Amino acid sequence: MTTETKPVEAMAHKTAGEAEASPFGWIIDPAIYLRILSVVVVIGGWELLGQISYISPSTFSWPSAIVAAFVDLTRTGEMMAAAKESSIILVAGLGLAIPTGIMLGLLMGRFKTCEYLLDTYVYALYATPVVALAFPIAMVLGVDFAGKTTIVVFFAIMPVIVNVFHGVRNVDPFLMEVTRSFCSSEWQRWRDLIFPSMVPYLVAGLGLSFGRGLVGMVVAEFLMSISGLGALSQDYTGELELDKGLAPVLLLMITGIVLTKLVNICENKFSSWRTHHEG
Amino acid sequence: MAESLNEKEVCLHLAGVHKYYGDLHVLDSIDIEVYEEEIVTILGPSGCGKTTLLRILNGLISYDSGDVLYKGERVIGPRPEMAMVFQHFGLFPWKRLSQNIGYGLNIQGRPKEEIDNLVRHYTSLVGLEGFEDNFPAELSGGMQQRAGLARALATQADVLLLDEPFGALDALTREQLQDELLKINEAEPKSMIFITHSIDEALLLGDRVLVMTPQPGEIRFEMETGFGRGRDLEEIRGSQRFQELRHYLWGLLKNPDRKPGPLPDEPELHGTVVKEGAGNDDRNQTGRGHGP
Repeated sequence: MTTETKPVEAMAHKTAGEAEASPFGWIIDPAIYLRILSVVVVIGGWELLGQISYISPSTFSWPSAIVAAFVDLTRTGEMMAAAKESSIILVAGLGLAIPTGIMLGLLMGRFKTCEYLLDTYVYALYATPVVALAFPIAMVLGVDFAGKTTIVVFFAIMPVIVNVFHGVRNVDPFLMEVTRSFCSSEWQRWRDLIFPSMVPYLVAGLGLSFGRGLVGMVVAEFLMSISGLGALSQDYTGELELDKGLAPVLLLMITGIVLTKLVNICENKFSSWRTHHEG
Repeated sequence: MAESLNEKEVCLHLAGVHKYYGDLHVLDSIDIEVYEEEIVTILGPSGCGKTTLLRILNGLISYDSGDVLYKGERVIGPRPEMAMVFQHFGLFPWKRLSQNIGYGLNIQGRPKEEIDNLVRHYTSLVGLEGFEDNFPAELSGGMQQRAGLARALATQADVLLLDEPFGALDALTREQLQDELLKINEAEPKSMIFITHSIDEALLLGDRVLVMTPQPGEIRFEMETGFGRGRDLEEIRGSQRFQELRHYLWGLLKNPDRKPGPLPDEPELHGTVVKEGAGNDDRNQTGRGHGP
């Protein structure tokens, strides 16, 4: 048994040693190398496949062609115009989904009555393919701004509600008793305990919500009145210019990565008290 | 010592308090009087209902019959005149030390300047100067409990309720904090109810020791330690009397159903057998519905 546990200990020591060499940590950080390696192999392999094959560019495209198309579309101004159109829907949708999601999550987490009143719909919606709701939404709200924004809201709101709900539910019951012992009012309890312990959950939820919002935005642009980046992609794909069809997708990917990174930065900032654990 | 205590007023009064969790009889007819500025330690094995008793005193949970009075007023919920020190510190991990220590004052809505002054005073009283801006996770358990103590003291409550506050600490830190707690209490006297399962701790800190036995939790025995204020804990630990009392209480806890023998011969000690545990006859008499 002891021989089995030894390698684990050795590994633990090694990690601790690496953490200590933090001044140069970023150079020897294997995460960077692994990411670069992964990108080189996958993207490089894809590029190579495109270069050596004789497949028509209308049915297959490769990284360098897509990047060239991206630059091309940016130069003509098509990309910016489409991105502007799309971002209005995205911002409006997220702007509605996030505050509403936080509110619903807080209410459901703190008050059992709200939970019992609302949880049926939340869990039902959780399992519903929102795409299937596009038609009824279009019937009620039209195929333009209101309808599209609603689709984004449906996509983006779920992770916010669920995460905030769990954040509030997982408040340390012991600290709850501390607030009671010191005669805290309900609003002081929110300020001192519930909000701070909910924030890490909320931030994680926001990361998911941004990603789903982007997906929702394109889905809305495909299914309702065609517009924005969705339209740009669909139009060029229809004209069998696949590289230009994929260029807006590239923009969406970059946006997704940037938003996730931003969320990570916020996450670290808000939970600085967590990172200070003594060794 | 006993006389001077009797001149003080009763601060906390429990009369015939019963508590049930469903069918489980947790507390059986608890009668306690705590005088102003008195330190009462409640000694008992884990699971005897000590913590439940303290939470009832704090107004955190209800009781099924009897009365809990603070200066003649019925305790129906937490009140600012009582402050609790928790076994697992109960600090907010996202608040810096000074914010944690000022928490109770902040809740009471005291002016900022007053909070700052009191926080500074109690931070230095518990020896935490220089750590005001640290988060709890950066501090040792002993330091965290100092902060927990400072937070309770800072509210300037009349009564301090301490729920095995040093139970989670190592032996050295524990002795250090016991010493300091007594010094702090001499500087700023107040009533303390201190719960512990350590016989030594109960004897060293208490003006009076109450012994609790489980199932149902009841106060079985009560005695005055008679070590006097300004006591030197090191000296007491080495004394003959401490050893005798320790041995006596140990016997009591080991055989809760046996009738306690006479106290070690000490003229100034007052020991009272509150409930004589014996055979089944006694048990039946203290059952449900037999309140005073």
